[in-house]
Amino acid sequence: MKTVLREPLLHFLALGALLFAWFEWKGGASGPGTNRIVVTPGQVEHLVSGYTRTFGRPPAEAELEGLIDDYVKEEIATREATAMGLDRDDTVIRRRLRQKLEFLAEEAVGTTTPTDAEIQAWVDAHPESFGGDVRLSFRQVYIKKAGKGPAVKGEAEKLLAQLRAAGPETNTQTLGDSTMLPAEISLLPLFEVGRTFGDGFAKKLLTIEPGTWSGPIESSYGLHIVLVRERTEAEKPSLTLVRPLVERELAAERGRRELEKLYERLLTRYTVTIEMPKAVPDSGEGKAEGRP
Amino acid sequence: MRLTRSTSWILGLGLLVSASSSSLAQDAGQADKATLEKAQPKPLYSPYAGRDYPTRPLFGDTHLHTALSFDAGIFGARVTPEDAYRFARGEEITSSTGQRVKLSRPLDWLVVADHSDNMGLITDLMAGKPELLAVPKGRRWYDMMQEGKGADAAIEMIMSFGEGTFPKEMVYAPGTPAYRSAWQAEIKAAETYNDPKRFTAFIGFEWTSNTGANNLHRNIIFRGNGAQAILVEPFVTFKPWGSDNPEDLWKWMTATEEKTGSPVLAIAHNGNLSNGIMFPMVEAFGKKLDRQYVETRAKRERLYEVTQTKGTGEAHPVLSPNDEFADFEIWDKGNLDGSVAKKKEMLEYEYARSALKNGLKLEQQLGVNPYKFGMIGSTDAHNGLAAVEEDNFFGKTAPQEPSPERLTKTFVTNPKSGVKIMDWEVGASGYAAVWAMENTRESIFDAMQRRETYATTGSRMIVRFFGGFNFEPRDAQDRMPARIGYSKGVPMGGDLEKAPKGKSPAFLVAALKDPIGANLDRIQIIKGWMDAKGELHEKVYDVAWSDGRKPDPKTGKLPSVGNTVDIASATWTNSIGSPELIAVWKDPSFDPTQRAFYYVRVIEIPTPRWTAYDAQRFGIKPHPETRMTVTERAYTSPIWYTPN
Repeated sequence: MKTVLREPLLHFLALGALLFAWFEWKGGASGPGTNRIVVTPGQVEHLVSGYTRTFGRPPAEAELEGLIDDYVKEEIATREATAMGLDRDDTVIRRRLRQKLEFLAEEAVGTTTPTDAEIQAWVDAHPESFGGDVRLSFRQVYIKKAGKGPAVKGEAEKLLAQLRAAGPETNTQTLGDSTMLPAEISLLPLFEVGRTFGDGFAKKLLTIEPGTWSGPIESSYGLHIVLVRERTEAEKPSLTLVRPLVERELAAERGRRELEKLYERLLTRYTVTIEMPKAVPDSGEGKAEGRP
Repeated sequence: MRLTRSTSWILGLGLLVSASSSSLAQDAGQADKATLEKAQPKPLYSPYAGRDYPTRPLFGDTHLHTALSFDAGIFGARVTPEDAYRFARGEEITSSTGQRVKLSRPLDWLVVADHSDNMGLITDLMAGKPELLAVPKGRRWYDMMQEGKGADAAIEMIMSFGEGTFPKEMVYAPGTPAYRSAWQAEIKAAETYNDPKRFTAFIGFEWTSNTGANNLHRNIIFRGNGAQAILVEPFVTFKPWGSDNPEDLWKWMTATEEKTGSPVLAIAHNGNLSNGIMFPMVEAFGKKLDRQYVETRAKRERLYEVTQTKGTGEAHPVLSPNDEFADFEIWDKGNLDGSVAKKKEMLEYEYARSALKNGLKLEQQLGVNPYKFGMIGSTDAHNGLAAVEEDNFFGKTAPQEPSPERLTKTFVTNPKSGVKIMDWEVGASGYAAVWAMENTRESIFDAMQRRETYATTGSRMIVRFFGGFNFEPRDAQDRMPARIGYSKGVPMGGDLEKAPKGKSPAFLVAALKDPIGANLDRIQIIKGWMDAKGELHEKVYDVAWSDGRKPDPKTGKLPSVGNTVDIASATWTNSIGSPELIAVWKDPSFDPTQRAFYYVRVIEIPTPRWTAYDAQRFGIKPHPETRMTVTERAYTSPIWYTPN
């Protein structure tokens, strides 16, 4: 329940409901629902200050009268036009209203500070993004696959046995095939291992027990007999340290998600029927199924 | 500027030698041999310890547009600089056409380089900024955009720019609050996403000199931070605030460095759309080339963007008829908007290889080589997405994001000049690889300035290239070519001089395929030189290749590597080619009295082009002339030889 109460969307919808109720109530006296127009002292002050900003002095009495007259005309015109539905077919007004609604929804998200639990959940889901890296030190001996056929398997097994007998510190400079790939890697973050050897290789390396020659592991370059020397687990980054970074990411993602959710929820209130004209040619979209 | 590794090593040695001379020892107290020997570093037993050269190239893009670019915004880009950085560092985002998109793996760095002219105007207009809506034409274009007639609004705006009738009140130029706030937004995005050692977000912009639609564009990159960049505003091309002459841009760069304390660099691109004026030989902007021009250009423009979505500009088949790989993703129909068709005689002043050659000539005439540039590739994408892998190509502009139409639609057409360019001709290219010590603004910027860079057409293959007079064939057997390379020679972008008597330069070159990409076909070294008569020459040498192929004994031509691409299913296999290639190559016809340059081209085996993925995924039949395969490649910065 606690998390539900903190849900920004809920705040937004509740706010909307309140505003609606308020307008309904106002409508009983002088709101948009009646034929009464009351120009309140607040609105007059607003007109005065707008004028002052533009002309550098407050309006004279006659000028103020003109301003108020104009305001009343604008109010009447808005009410009549809305009543006639003139706003409904006006793209500019529709877009603007949509913008305002989405802006409000995004604002509601932006002003909520994420909780520690939310921050923690994000950090756990994106360990690679916040300095919390698994680091690996390892050696590798490369065996080229190209042009060797199935015999390469035997070669790898033989080399593995040879290396196991020789031990972890043996000189590997003349073993296996020559490669530009580094033979000795020390405390490299896992994502960097992936950028050099490919992510598949990096993942498999994680499953190797440190201390003995193992493998072969396959990469897109060929086979590798590997010796994991050391694996340091990702340090849990402190929440205060990563909070600004996570807030940055969360704000971006939540803004988008909340907007999607808002539309999903609002959509349940509507029944949408789309009637396509017969003449529209097949866009080919239907054939896009099975895209990777 | 950072010293290259080999020179700093030499300097270190020099200091030791002078410290041991008695005259210098006076102030430093007693200096006996034993003390000095202790201070002298002993060679380490472990070959991996004390390694102070870059171990992995950092891949990035110097040239990406977002919604803040005038043309990108008009064409429907909605991705912000923030999202562009997030996308480049590996996050999944929503594209301008509402599609979810993610890179196969993060890039290491990115420059959001939005056009400086009218930066931020379209995003403000879209948001209905009152100041813009107060201008009648602004109101009109806003309404058109809101009514879904964005394309018509775009054409009107571009036309009114061309005719000089664009409302003055709407121009976003230096000195206006709106322009400043756009620049602030760019800076803020870069500052927010700059994450030293993990992801570098540079501050930058594009200066878009385009008079007569002849492309003289340059991207500007700041080495420094937001507090420095905010002291200036991006240079524009329109008067009275700016200029379309590169010489004025260089002046602005000098003033900017003085004012901000941040070094800046400029990278030109798309000489192929300049209609013969990117690399002038005689005059520029009505002024004869002089010492000052060549000197300033050499200082300010140390890199050239050789490949991008609007074509690859390394070499042209007309200029290099003997180069069987020169015809690659060529755009040679006209200038930027296709208003003036291309003439053959323009080509020489548009392509990187001919400019590198002509630079040798200018160096002899004027004392400095203005075209002594290294090479990078970048995307020039206008939708905020640096996504140029063939199987994940998100196009050049928002309308060219994946859709069933992009395979058959027209990109540029001009009935008057007859120039017509199709969407399928847009290339999924390229990236910039930088041999920087660490992933920071300073380190990458410095590596760019020493030209230790190469261009790729979208692949992330690794290429090493060193030149010197002492490389031997057995250096290619070494498992740490970089260690040998840096200790015995200079890396790509460097200089060779003082050839020892009777010795020819030799080059250690090695390439490793992209960890998730295709095997390599061959490594080539391209040599350009000027003979005693001042004639310019070029020659392409195959120096390493896969599958034990034998060159034809008569012609010397290496047989093709073959092709495993199945176009219908958009697949290929790595059953041909080699995951890595390495060689030491010695120039067989070296003349120590002649200026020369050498650069490397690495070519992958054929793979499906983005058009093949589109055809397969959308089930669309392409036009018959559509290219469906591609041989991705890398171009390194040259190493120059200059006679004493």
